[in-house]
Amino acid sequence: MKRFLIWLALLAPLLTLGLFALSKGWFYPEPFPAQWTSQAFSRLLNDSRTLKAILDSLLLAFIVSLLSLIIGYPAAREIGLRDFPGKKYVWLAIFLPTVIPPLAIGMGLSILALQTGLAGTRLGIILAHIVPTLPYTVFTLAGVFARYDENYEYQALALGASPTRIFFTVTLRLLAPGLAVAGLFAFLISWSQYLLTLLVGGGRVLTLPVLLFSAVSGGNPTTISALSLLFLAPPVLIIAATARFLGENPNDIHERI
Amino acid sequence: MKPSTRTLLRLAPTLAVLTILLGASLLYGLAQSLGYLTIIGEKELNLTAYINLISGQGTAGREFWVSLGFSLWISLASTLLSAISALFLATLLNRRPFNFDTFALNWNLAFPHLVWGVFILLLLTQSGLLARWADALGLIDAPVDFPILVRDRYGIGIILTYLGKEIPFLTLLILALLRTQSEGYLLVAENLGANAWQRFRLITLPLVRPALVPGSLLVFAYIFGAYEVPALLGVRYPRALPVLALESFTNPDLRARSEGMAISLIVAFVVLLIVVFARAKEELQG
Amino acid sequence: MTTLTFTHITKSYPKRDTPVLDDFLLDVQSGELVSLLGPSGIGKSTLLKLIAGIERPDAGDIRFDGESVLSTAPNQREAVFMFQKAYLFPFLNVGENIAFGLKVKGFSTKERLIKVAEMLDLIGLPGIEKRPPNELSGGEQQRVALARSLVIRPKVLLLDEPFNSLDRPVRLSLQEAVRNIQRELGITTLLVTHDLDEAMAMSDRMALMMGGKVAAIDKPQRLFQKPPCVETAKFVGVKLFIEGVASSGTLVSAEWGKLKIEDEQKVGRSIFAIRPEHIRIQKEKCENALAGVVKNCVYRGTQIEMKIALGERVLRAHIPAKNEIMPAEEPVQVILPKEHLFAVN
Repeated sequence: MKRFLIWLALLAPLLTLGLFALSKGWFYPEPFPAQWTSQAFSRLLNDSRTLKAILDSLLLAFIVSLLSLIIGYPAAREIGLRDFPGKKYVWLAIFLPTVIPPLAIGMGLSILALQTGLAGTRLGIILAHIVPTLPYTVFTLAGVFARYDENYEYQALALGASPTRIFFTVTLRLLAPGLAVAGLFAFLISWSQYLLTLLVGGGRVLTLPVLLFSAVSGGNPTTISALSLLFLAPPVLIIAATARFLGENPNDIHERI
Repeated sequence: MKPSTRTLLRLAPTLAVLTILLGASLLYGLAQSLGYLTIIGEKELNLTAYINLISGQGTAGREFWVSLGFSLWISLASTLLSAISALFLATLLNRRPFNFDTFALNWNLAFPHLVWGVFILLLLTQSGLLARWADALGLIDAPVDFPILVRDRYGIGIILTYLGKEIPFLTLLILALLRTQSEGYLLVAENLGANAWQRFRLITLPLVRPALVPGSLLVFAYIFGAYEVPALLGVRYPRALPVLALESFTNPDLRARSEGMAISLIVAFVVLLIVVFARAKEELQG
Repeated sequence: MTTLTFTHITKSYPKRDTPVLDDFLLDVQSGELVSLLGPSGIGKSTLLKLIAGIERPDAGDIRFDGESVLSTAPNQREAVFMFQKAYLFPFLNVGENIAFGLKVKGFSTKERLIKVAEMLDLIGLPGIEKRPPNELSGGEQQRVALARSLVIRPKVLLLDEPFNSLDRPVRLSLQEAVRNIQRELGITTLLVTHDLDEAMAMSDRMALMMGGKVAAIDKPQRLFQKPPCVETAKFVGVKLFIEGVASSGTLVSAEWGKLKIEDEQKVGRSIFAIRPEHIRIQKEKCENALAGVVKNCVYRGTQIEMKIALGERVLRAHIPAKNEIMPAEEPVQVILPKEHLFAVN
């Protein structure tokens, strides 16, 4: 019974969304839909605007997480493996962007984007998304590096491998799980980003959350639910894949999604 | 002592990107809040926007104090209720096996705030799922009989949405501490004669304080500065500060834009103060 | 002053085939310190948990002064622990830590202050009430933990390998301190340890646990010198066991030949044993001598440990350190003095 209740509480959001998404002509006061159909999904997946939004969201999130990993890697390595004067302040400087509300950053960036001609472009949105994703990437990777043993690299070096070779055959392999988790977090933050996309994209680049947000104001529960479920799929998969990692490190990443 | 060149080089990409993007956005924001509006050729800096806000005048300024009160109300209520619920939930779960409920709590974190808001909306509107079921059970006769729980003046829907998201977060935060540290201490306390309530009050509470206090401050800061949930589940009046800020920022009345930007910066400043305070506290307590 | 009685205690865990404790019996006298020795997983710590009420026995009874405590809640048992880790509450200072048990029992602030000061004197750390626990050394933390346990004057003190994580000199001084305080306060005490030296140094009686029961219990000296059974003997360091047939002062063994023994009562198939320190090595032949060659010698400071080959077999002897170290392959006589050969079950 207790277990059943836990499962119910756990699945309630998904079940509710599913109920509405699969319904047709379901009006008050019917307690359950009279007709079940997956029309909402097929309609959405045949709608070029929605399809484009999904592709845009995926593409943006992918590029943003890749860029975050590349830009953040050296800093994360230095922070995770070394002690240096002023480390605390570096940490603080990277931490600050995670707490300043996206609203303030987004409004400022939107003015900046207008001035530089980046408003409404994907490049502008990518740059805007990097502000919240980069710090999380650096934090996650720094944590991974803190448990990383550089001696593997020295061993390879002593055996005559070149630095490039070491990076690709030793470092990347040892770090693969950590890099994956950091990348997935960045992906998640970018994927869920509404405000920065709206402010910098100015409504010209429609991502899934932007579409969902305007759908909610519009008000058809079936469409809203179906869109929500599409929007929800990657986060659920990513959290499931990284659950073990999250379980050990309660992470304030969720405040970003 | 100065950091080595190599350290600086490695930190450079991250720091440069963040500094440029963040610095530029804050500078532009600040300039606009001070009336620097190139679109209308306004280049004189002034404090009109801030004065309007404080004195309750102007397009957005009229609502400033009401919005501030509303924002404080939803942030405080959500944070306190989350913290208390999380504390009891974590105490309950502490003695149970690890895997399942950690998964359960993480599962919840996977839901973006936006989707959680949609769920609350579908569930609790006057013609929502619960209203339909209540009608089917004969508890109500028409949608108007169902209490207004979302898009209500008191922000109940907003608070409920945040509870759904923040309770699992804070619970995980507390559990991480309890599960690694509490067992021996609780055992010793019981062994020395403490009953269940004394163990909670004298051991669990001081033990989780270093996680609970900064965690709650972080939650407060986040809610205080967040736009999506109050925008989706709120009413036109009173509006939360971030909603007021954004809507003023995109207002065709250009004067309102400066005020919107000013509100947003004030919110950011408050949030920053809270977080710095939380971090300092965290560091102090080790 | 409390006596502690275990009657037919049985305790099983779902994931183990055999019970951890199986019809376990033990009587501990008032004010006595009994140590429980044995390999890990033998149920020593389980026994302490049963006494403290953290776990319940499947069958049997635990009595303090003849009265069953099984229905007493764990926080009312007055059987307090001292663990390997001090578990000093990190958010309380030393004084507040020690006063914890008094506080939950409702003692006034004034009484608490007086008793805490008394305990700090007793453990030899006066005046450190205001210090945070993390500023103390490992040994000091354990002393404070002891004070915290004893300030409430418990009926029984449960020491669960409390010295394990300490360096040797600290460990020895703490063993002595605990022993002295325990005697002074006369608190009935059980000590769980796998360290034979520690058990011998501290106990009134040592109990060796095997198969969920007490295999042997006696004063440390007796248990060490004349262990009653093979398992006990092995545990206290006996290496040589001689199986044979005994009759009127001789033991005839297929492996070791004919040996003189003092034990006249022992007749028929039996096992005799001798401690390695009691084996003598010399050049001359005499009674109970066996010819062998030295395999190697290890100098240990207090003794020399030798391996001697007798044909196919290897035998270990510990001889006083003042002896010469013999080169390998040196022929010697191994003497098993008859007064040191004792029968074991």
